[in-house]
Amino acid sequence: MLSEKLMSDVLNKALSSGGDFAELFMEDTRRTNIKMLDGYLEDAVSGRDFGIGLRILQNNQSIYAYTNDTADKALLQMAADAASALRGLPGENGLVLQRSTVPSRHPIVEYPSQVDAPRKAEVMRRAHSAAKGYSEQISQVAIMYADVEQDVMIANTDGLLVDDHRVRTRLAISSVASKDGEKQSGFYGPGRHMGFEMYGNLDIEHYAQEASRIAVTMVNAEYAPSGRFPVIINSEFGGVIFHEACGHGLEATSVAKGTSVFADKLGQQIASPLVSAVDDGTIPNAWGSQNIDDEGNSTRRNVLIENGILKGYMVDRLNGRRMDMEATGSARRQSYRYAPTSRMTNTFILNGASDPEEIVADTEYGLFARYMGGGSVNPATGEFNFAVNEGYLIRNGRLDKPVRGATLIGRGADILKKIDMVGNNLETGQGMCGSLSGAVPADVGQPTLRVSEMTVGGRKEEQS
Amino acid sequence: MNIEEFQEALFSQGRAAGLDDMEIYVSQSKEFNVKVFQEEVDHYSLADVLGVGFRAQWQQKMGYAYTEVLDQQSVGLLVDQAKINAQLIDSEDEVEIFAGSDSYPEVQAFNQSFSQVGVEEKIAFARELEEAALAKDSRVISVNYAVFADSEDDIYMANTKGLCRSFARNSAACLVMAVVKEGERVKTGTEYRLGNRWEEFDAKKLAEDAVDEAVSMLQAETLDSRDYSVILRHDAAADVLKTFAPVFSAENVQKGLSRLDGRLGDSIASGPVTLMDDPLLENGAATAPFDGEGVASFTKAVIAAGVLKTFLHNLKTANKDGVESTGNAHKASFKSPVGIAPTNFFIQPGSASLRQLMETMDDGVLITDVQGLHSGANTVSGDFSLAAAGYRVKDGKIANAVDQITIAGNFFDVLAAVRDIGTDLKFGMGGPGGSVGSPSLWIDTLAIAGK
Repeated sequence: MLSEKLMSDVLNKALSSGGDFAELFMEDTRRTNIKMLDGYLEDAVSGRDFGIGLRILQNNQSIYAYTNDTADKALLQMAADAASALRGLPGENGLVLQRSTVPSRHPIVEYPSQVDAPRKAEVMRRAHSAAKGYSEQISQVAIMYADVEQDVMIANTDGLLVDDHRVRTRLAISSVASKDGEKQSGFYGPGRHMGFEMYGNLDIEHYAQEASRIAVTMVNAEYAPSGRFPVIINSEFGGVIFHEACGHGLEATSVAKGTSVFADKLGQQIASPLVSAVDDGTIPNAWGSQNIDDEGNSTRRNVLIENGILKGYMVDRLNGRRMDMEATGSARRQSYRYAPTSRMTNTFILNGASDPEEIVADTEYGLFARYMGGGSVNPATGEFNFAVNEGYLIRNGRLDKPVRGATLIGRGADILKKIDMVGNNLETGQGMCGSLSGAVPADVGQPTLRVSEMTVGGRKEEQS
Repeated sequence: MNIEEFQEALFSQGRAAGLDDMEIYVSQSKEFNVKVFQEEVDHYSLADVLGVGFRAQWQQKMGYAYTEVLDQQSVGLLVDQAKINAQLIDSEDEVEIFAGSDSYPEVQAFNQSFSQVGVEEKIAFARELEEAALAKDSRVISVNYAVFADSEDDIYMANTKGLCRSFARNSAACLVMAVVKEGERVKTGTEYRLGNRWEEFDAKKLAEDAVDEAVSMLQAETLDSRDYSVILRHDAAADVLKTFAPVFSAENVQKGLSRLDGRLGDSIASGPVTLMDDPLLENGAATAPFDGEGVASFTKAVIAAGVLKTFLHNLKTANKDGVESTGNAHKASFKSPVGIAPTNFFIQPGSASLRQLMETMDDGVLITDVQGLHSGANTVSGDFSLAAAGYRVKDGKIANAVDQITIAGNFFDVLAAVRDIGTDLKFGMGGPGGSVGSPSLWIDTLAIAGK
């Protein structure tokens, strides 16, 4: 990493033309990705991502430059080029960086870079065997292994100098089931902010069998009906719907510009009183956790919604200026190639009072979305769409039969108000969230809950 | 260390470590991006980045590693990691490092005059996107994207079998998204332009088109759920084609992940459908003289008049099938192993304007936007169920806007159900996996879910 002298010089240079704040983000990352298909290790890639991002702010304007040339001259030139995009007088030159240390809440036992490759392959073989052995209908299994050790150092013109080590480990299992020429897939991808010790506590076989179970269930399922009816969304990865349909609208990125449906609604009832939700980047070793955010602020537990009332947003420095609000430890970026902005970490709806079985029993006709696929949302309109990877029809308070190919659509603000039962079985699932500042690891989560009415897109007419 | 020194050190240290054939793939990029919001430069970025991908054979197995720093430490890291990774591989597929094709085509991928456009002009362009959108209609409450971005990329490949080639490409993209509001209804409209010809970038027209589309959606209603005749407008059609492009990859076919297995020579699409892969397209976003393995590029029809002519191959899959590589070896970036992807991949335009298509369809739905492709589409089965918006067409004309619907069907059924094709070929926004374009497609029927 760079010397303190060079960091100060670059930051001073960055303020030479009217900038009022400058920040350096330095990254040195090691990654390994291994792919296994049908039991054969096909590709293994390891690498080193290394680079430096410089951000300069002047009021609400933001300049960002990045490079992987760390020669003094190249960095000072980059600072001069970036500064030349602004007009104004030089700032003071007396920057003194104060190194601070943030105690780690996410202990790492076994760094992946110290683990022999064959041990990584062994974990993949176990997952493959369990997934493949689940059923004769499983025609293909793909296993992806990934680990990353990201060292970052952040320095800014407030004098901050802080570093963080993020270690993440993930195993993804994709199973394909075939029957009469039809193919359906199932997926599970457990991950943690943890080293290789994750596999000591992880029931690999369980996740692999779950991926296969979903694929087999779906290949034997009929197409889902279309129409508007009650939808029960299962716990764990079902939280993706809150993440996409509401979480993105609570990020300052869209709130500051007034383009979110939740802008100017602090203190108002935006959801059913049964709904409370938080974004919490402090949970020890959770997938979306880190000690500091990518602006160098400590992560926090931010209450977003309490009993249906909007309590807060996720705010980064730049958008905080626009909103006149303090940053909430929510600034994130995929790498030095992205300027940071407000993003989710681990975001979930909190437990309610209902027993999950009671929610199904209380539903005469509807869809039970047991395992959600991905989705997307337009933050300006709140319109979202999600795939249901594993769905069941509910008739007379019972799961009737599995159905495939269902898509849920709607508007986040409407859905939040239509949540009429919330379970007591909160669990979280892992995903990669893509947005302005790239793809970042994020946990989603919720207890099982019911939306009284939702549009379900399927391939069959509704039949009651 | 410069590239030549790094390459030399890498190959000599690799040999000493017992590696056989070795190859480096170097990408150097200069990137620029400006975004304007409320008359201010909201985001402005400059980048100068380099990345080196390395692959090496050790006992017939290929190992990969990459770095973004050219120093002695990285030389050691690449050699060690590539060897460790090669030792892991137990796939029996034969992989080779390629000595080079007999000749390479000349391609037009770098436009010199575009690289002369100044920063001030680009910023002014982004400003005009916002200004023109706000001026177009009083219901525009905000322009949340007014972006101009461009990049210059140099790709260099060299290996121990004697291949040594490079090429340069420049490209730009601009995007405008207008947010309009009437009463409580909020809608967005988006337009973009890609290319490397500055004269084709018209900020005012793009901004006004985005506003027109957003405003037209303000009164949108959902539809009754049933089957409708459908026109997928060029952009929606290109999005769907891009999502299902992997079904044409020989790798997916060989692995049983494509329903096109065994269908070469069969009619898999309706007569009007011809699907091209053209890496030589002048100034295309994926134009290149050679592919990710150094194989010379050439133009081919994947589907000709409905008949499946070829899959997309790299050296590994071609070897397996006993055919020649189609030059579709793809590296999503210097970090990626070699896979397969289309280059400039598009359905040949037909002869009807969009208006004529609507007139002939008479009664149906024009789909202008589909969402959820990364989750609501199953590339293995071909099934899709996507959030969509567009317009109800009655008596051959647009009757009203529709939203909050889903369209559902199967990609292979859609190919066979194309009744007619528009003249309006347009390429979608880029990203890894090729540049995919389509004209508007009139499809017999699709299931639509609304109320």
